Amino acid sequence: MGNQFDGITKKVKDFVFDTEKIGELTKEADEIKRKRRRKKKFGFMELGNGVDIRFVLLLTAVVVIGLVMMFSASFPTAYFSKENSYFFIKKQLVAAVLGVAAMLVLSLVDYHHLHFFAFPLLIIGWLLLVVVLIANIGSNEPKRWLNPFGVSIQVSEICKFTLILFMAHWSSLYYDKMRTFKYGVLPGVVLLLVTSFLLYLEPHYSGIVICGLIIAIMMFLAGVRIIYFVIAGGIVAVTVVVMAATGMLTYAMARLDGWGQALTYTDIDMWNTTWQTRNSLYAIGSGGLMGLGLGQSRQKYMYLPEPQNDFVYAVVCEELGFVGAFVIMVLFAILVCRGMYICLKATDKFGTLLGVGLMAQIGLQVILNILVITDWLPNTGISLPFFSYGGSSLVMLLAQMGIVMNISRTAALEKK
Amino acid sequence: MGDMVLSGIRKRSWILMFLIVLLGFGSVISRLFYLQIVKGKELSDLAVDQQMSDITVSAKRGSIRDRNGNILASSANVWKVVLAPVYFENDSDRRKVSNGLADILGMDSDEIFELAKMSNSYYQTVKRQVESDERNKVLAFIDKISEENPKLASVIVLEEDYKRYYPYNDFAAAVIGFTGSDGQGLSGIEYEYDSYLRGVPGRVVSENDGWGAAMPFEYEQKQEAHDGNTVVLTIDETIQHFLEKHLKQGIIDYKVAEGAVAICMNVNTAEIYGMAVENSFDLNHPYEISDQSALKELEKLSGTKRDQRENEMLARQWRNKAISDSYYPGSVYKVITASAALEEGTSKPSSKFFCTGSYVPYEGVQAIACHNHDGHGSQTFAEALCNSCNPAFMMIGKDLGYEKFWEYFQSFGFNSKTGIDLSGEATGLFFVHEGEPEGSMWPTDLAIGSFGQGITVTPIEMVTAVSAVANGGKLMKPYLVKQIVDADGNVIKTTEPTVKRQVISQQTAEKIAEIMEKNATEGTAKNGYVAGYRIAGKTGTSEKIGQSRKKNVEDYIASYCGFAPADDPQIALLVYFDTPTGEAYYGSQVAAPVFASIMSEICPYLGIEAQYTDDEMKYVSTAAGSYVSLSIEDAQKKARDDGFEPFVTGDGDVVISQIPESGSQIPRGGRVVLYTTTDSTKETVTVPDLVGYTVSEVNEYASEYNLNISYSGSVNQEGVYSYAQSIESGIHVPPGTVITVYFGNNDVDDTVM
Repeated sequence: MGNQFDGITKKVKDFVFDTEKIGELTKEADEIKRKRRRKKKFGFMELGNGVDIRFVLLLTAVVVIGLVMMFSASFPTAYFSKENSYFFIKKQLVAAVLGVAAMLVLSLVDYHHLHFFAFPLLIIGWLLLVVVLIANIGSNEPKRWLNPFGVSIQVSEICKFTLILFMAHWSSLYYDKMRTFKYGVLPGVVLLLVTSFLLYLEPHYSGIVICGLIIAIMMFLAGVRIIYFVIAGGIVAVTVVVMAATGMLTYAMARLDGWGQALTYTDIDMWNTTWQTRNSLYAIGSGGLMGLGLGQSRQKYMYLPEPQNDFVYAVVCEELGFVGAFVIMVLFAILVCRGMYICLKATDKFGTLLGVGLMAQIGLQVILNILVITDWLPNTGISLPFFSYGGSSLVMLLAQMGIVMNISRTAALEKK
Repeated sequence: MGDMVLSGIRKRSWILMFLIVLLGFGSVISRLFYLQIVKGKELSDLAVDQQMSDITVSAKRGSIRDRNGNILASSANVWKVVLAPVYFENDSDRRKVSNGLADILGMDSDEIFELAKMSNSYYQTVKRQVESDERNKVLAFIDKISEENPKLASVIVLEEDYKRYYPYNDFAAAVIGFTGSDGQGLSGIEYEYDSYLRGVPGRVVSENDGWGAAMPFEYEQKQEAHDGNTVVLTIDETIQHFLEKHLKQGIIDYKVAEGAVAICMNVNTAEIYGMAVENSFDLNHPYEISDQSALKELEKLSGTKRDQRENEMLARQWRNKAISDSYYPGSVYKVITASAALEEGTSKPSSKFFCTGSYVPYEGVQAIACHNHDGHGSQTFAEALCNSCNPAFMMIGKDLGYEKFWEYFQSFGFNSKTGIDLSGEATGLFFVHEGEPEGSMWPTDLAIGSFGQGITVTPIEMVTAVSAVANGGKLMKPYLVKQIVDADGNVIKTTEPTVKRQVISQQTAEKIAEIMEKNATEGTAKNGYVAGYRIAGKTGTSEKIGQSRKKNVEDYIASYCGFAPADDPQIALLVYFDTPTGEAYYGSQVAAPVFASIMSEICPYLGIEAQYTDDEMKYVSTAAGSYVSLSIEDAQKKARDDGFEPFVTGDGDVVISQIPESGSQIPRGGRVVLYTTTDSTKETVTVPDLVGYTVSEVNEYASEYNLNISYSGSVNQEGVYSYAQSIESGIHVPPGTVITVYFGNNDVDDTVM
């Protein structure tokens, strides 16, 4: 009995870790690294440890602008509901400091060590999703937050990272088997089903959508055959229709109500549900070309609920106008591109898959967030990276940027 | 080898990058461009609407005053009850507050509950124009609920607002007009001068952020509210009061069915001193039907029929008949015909006209009768006007000719608006012949038009035209607003009198005035005479052809238009009764006595000096002195010196009271009863019936009953009888009481077609 159990354990262990293979791959990467390091000269566009300075500068710009705009958007609400204009920015700054610390640490730790954390972190992420359900039992609100030691943590932020990490780990390990169903499709499907089920119980549908898209992107990068995406898309569509018809999606359906009707609501209920989106559109439109000026938003004064959260960019649009909004969007786009570019120059598959996945996640969230505040997508809780208020999100994002920075140290960039 | 494997991943990474940048960021940026640049103006207007509507600071509407500064309309502080539903946490709180407010404000609680459910809103208006007692109750209610639950403290907000008050209710209602719930003028001066009265509401940009508190940050833009301007009318409150008082009495006395108008105008400036339109309505409650008989009719109806009828009644009640009614002027128009004939020289004051009782203006046309069927015989031009003789005027009109008749209709301003500063003005109409140009006439038109039939005028046009005769021939533009004064007391606009044109020469005007004065003293207009004053006037009675209330019933308009003093005209007065349904309906019977009553009060008020004839002196009243606490001898002496006849009752030595009281007006030689004991004051006499007697007969009665008579009307003329008394017969009064007796002439002297 015992032996048999040991056998299964070993099989699973080999399956997911394959230490031998990891060692092989690591060694191979080290070889390349060593070669490159010998050639390396100190360049102006690198930090002392070889981190890509353009990426760091872009990231710094986005984070600083994000903090300033979050403060501008949040101070009236902070003043009126917390009687302290600095309430939100203080907490966000603390998170930023912690996040930068995590980023620096991770930028120094060789990312190949993450191979060994991929599976345990995935399991821990799922366990946290179970814990969050238990901890919030009896609450009528969506069960998304954990509050250890007075710090709120949105668990799905952690899960997004663990999914990317595991997918990168898995795909780099079995890259040559990616065109098969067993290695290419099955793990992704299992991950999607387990994660979706747990998020469904919260419920947190926008989380499901983002996790689904992340898994799909990772599978695409790994080279899974396109036909499987078509089939999966079909299955997802059928599932959604069936679930909607059987009333399993009532919460999501309610959130869809009023989508696209923010300016043409017809009754009180609609007026209430579209309130936030309508005022977001008012704010965005009020900005015009040049904006009302930094700090001069009217809509943040109790018209736009919680302007520091998902709708922070509406205030940005109102204060900085289309010019400001355009510049910031371009900054985001360049940041994402630079990050991806660094990673596709990484020394190995794991680095490329992990880094491109992390940057894609940022781009994805930015795009989805803006589409929500401009009423092209229904109002679901998708925050804007580096801008929206939320400590756990900011720490996670900066930590992930640390990993990208680490990848950049060994990437084959044209270093002068 | 590693790089080989990587190439596939890199290719797909590039694809992903392009997808994210082109599809993702591309669509995001184009969406932002659409919302901010293409739809920017529209959305920003919506946003401003939302922000501004919350933060308007109402301006206080300016007051409306009469020419002496008396307030006729003003705005006072009231409050607006506002809900901030965003602070509600559950439906039971919503229900509690809705019920509480509904009780205090007399509203439907479900209606408030609906507002309370606007759960994202910071601003929902519950009720406007809440007065201070209700406001105090709301304040107490806020205290109560916030004690129970502090989170409810900011759910109800009281905002300052203004409400319009009309201190005299129905006084000058047609002129002043009323305002709607948003404070905007809806009729009368309130409507016409709305832009001046309204003021400029202030704005505080995002002051009202929904939490009701002012913003803690120094970035708000303040624009103070500018209170509205005060509009000072040409109306004199006292004169307006005289007009309304006598019109109301006239409506009762002559059972007038369709209301009445009186307009008093300064003939030299065309300022309107008074414009009374009865039946009036309460400006504080303009939507309530004031006419009791109309209300009774309404009670019998229901449904849409009722609503429709009610709207008709409201429209009728708000109608300013003085400027909106056009009517056949009847014989009053003879003044215009006569002026035109003299001015054009087609008739001379010495011209003679012979009346046989009827006249055939053209061969083949039926004869048109005179009101005097026996005929007036041979008359001069002046006598023809005093007799109001129709055949004579048909001849005068014939001599004047078609073109000139039409020309003078226009030049006196009957086919155009007078331009008075009130909306809703109508114009008179010349003979209407379909398919023919304005001003065309058929042969009989000239005949009947000469005595004011077939053509219509409005009351304001008529009084303006007669004013032109009075002031030496200048047609003026009448006006109601004298000045506009801003909130700080600076005059920002003053209306200057406007002369439109000279319509007749000074000479002609003076001649017509002279004839009209003669008419008022001894002619058909003598019921309009006021002892001591030189009145000029003309009566008019016309049938409302085609406008009667029922078929086969003839309805009439009785009017009187004149001015005073005839030698130096200052004011013109038109009195107009629409459809008197009593036995009397002629202008001379209905409008003339009311004209006289009004003039007898306006002339002394304006300080026009009375000049009595010897005959009249007998009837002129003087004020009684005070004889109380004098000894009987002294009191009797003093009373005799004052020109009264003392009459002592009781057996005391000292006078303890007197009737009439000191200061009362009694005719010379009237009785003053002096009481010496308290018992004696209980004596009374019964008032006799004094109607239908001559002046000397009434005098006899007065001495017989120990009563004093105040004579009103044309007492110094022959053929004058009393037609009313101020205290009804059969009532017990103390001896010495003053009874006003109205005298007039009952001749039927007008023309009715």
